[in-house]
Amino acid sequence: MNWPDLSFGRYGFYIWGSYLFALVAIVWELVSLSYRKKSQKQEKTSPRVLRGSTNETTS
Amino acid sequence: MLRWVVWRDLILAWRRRADALSTLFFFVIVVSLFPLGIGPETELLRSIAPGVVWVAALLASMLSLGRLFANDYQDGTLEQLLLTPQPLYLVVLGKVAAQWLTSELPLVCMAPLLGVQFGVSNDTLVVLVLSLALGTPVLSMIGSIGAALTLGLRSSSVLISILVLPLYIPVLIFGAGAVEASIIGQSPAPHIYLLGAITVLSLIFAPWATSAALRISVE
Amino acid sequence: MNVYKYASPTNFYPLAGKMIPWFATPAAILFAVGLFVGFFIAPPDFQQGDAYRIMFIHVPAAWLGMFLYVLMAIYAGIGWAFNARLASMMASSISVTGAMFTFISLVTGAFWGKPTWGVWWVWDARMTSTLILLFLYIGFISLQSSIEDPRRADRAGAVLALVGVINVPIIYFSVQWWNTLHQGATIRILQKPTIRGSMLWSMLILLAACWLYSVAVVLIRVRCIILEREQNAARFAEATL
Repeated sequence: MNWPDLSFGRYGFYIWGSYLFALVAIVWELVSLSYRKKSQKQEKTSPRVLRGSTNETTS
Repeated sequence: MLRWVVWRDLILAWRRRADALSTLFFFVIVVSLFPLGIGPETELLRSIAPGVVWVAALLASMLSLGRLFANDYQDGTLEQLLLTPQPLYLVVLGKVAAQWLTSELPLVCMAPLLGVQFGVSNDTLVVLVLSLALGTPVLSMIGSIGAALTLGLRSSSVLISILVLPLYIPVLIFGAGAVEASIIGQSPAPHIYLLGAITVLSLIFAPWATSAALRISVE
Repeated sequence: MNVYKYASPTNFYPLAGKMIPWFATPAAILFAVGLFVGFFIAPPDFQQGDAYRIMFIHVPAAWLGMFLYVLMAIYAGIGWAFNARLASMMASSISVTGAMFTFISLVTGAFWGKPTWGVWWVWDARMTSTLILLFLYIGFISLQSSIEDPRRADRAGAVLALVGVINVPIIYFSVQWWNTLHQGATIRILQKPTIRGSMLWSMLILLAACWLYSVAVVLIRVRCIILEREQNAARFAEATL
């Protein structure tokens, strides 16, 4: 196994840049999904009550 | 039925002349903005003329599309039209034809004057008018799909633009390409033929998609 | 065994949950393997030096962007034609992942273009078509997010996706035409080298990894969508009682 020159000649910025961006995009997608799941769990346990959804006649 | 729909829409548009005229003025103003932004150098203007006029025509079409079905939807006429035994395809075709006559045809007629502003030769003006005359029906047809999909939504006009402008790109490429070919001395015929093919295809298929979209939006 | 019971969102939810690890773990493994082969085993290219390594992520992302659009249109069409809610939910779920991959392919394409062509962006046929594909995705997502009624959103999205999928060949052809006409005035595009050996393997492994990842993420998202619609329906039922 030969360690490549990590700066890849002149191309290091571009190669690392593109893979970093792809990584950020993938991580963003996963994080936003987990946030969505979390807020759904919160919704289930303590749902936001719609105004007027109870049977009380006086507010 | 078709004639009745067209005639009705034309009368309604005549009662609101300002709407159609404002589309035309928007077209003129947008085209005039480009020289102000870029500079009055004739050679430069002549080279950007096809793209500028065509993009302005696209944007002006966007303005008029919102009105295509919205008024009828609001007063309930559209639901009645959906219930008639006549095919919805014909109703849509009629409405789009009326929209083309009131909103796009003025653009086609105004285009030569704008072309002169950009220092374009007479032959090219002919090609400009021809390409717009062939291309604007497609703008109306494809735009009607967007108008039907976004019926009744908030900020529908911006949404129509987002949906429909990517679909306009082939029309833009061939239409502006025809005019540009004429400017540099090549024959615009291939572009015009392809533009014509797109027009025929959209004439056949787009009203069907619009009818489907109308049924989805109204029910 | 009755397979059709999985067409119901409530039945599909646990099935999807069981399926996710079977796709997510191989995806992670293949990502690691593909990157290893691509960075440590594949040699520098004769023409482009090391810059071609960006292709390992750019090409899979571009392919997936296109493939996912077609898949999204198919699901949306099925959901519309057969009135199948789950198929429409799948289409909505795929749209976000597809848009993301298209965006990745545009950015990595720009990162590849800068060292090879000298500029960040070139209006060549492929990049321009990918940009237009991104616009089509954005249109689909915008339309669905601005319609409140979920069934109307599903059907409207289906019409848009089908119109888009039919237009994509026309758009691609016209962009190619436009590009070849104007090529003389712009930068000469370097031909991509024929790719072989360990380079090809790395790209294929990463393609498989991205595909497995997409399946996993789409399933996760569709489970969220199922939950959201169920909750909304329950809340609506409560409020109107």
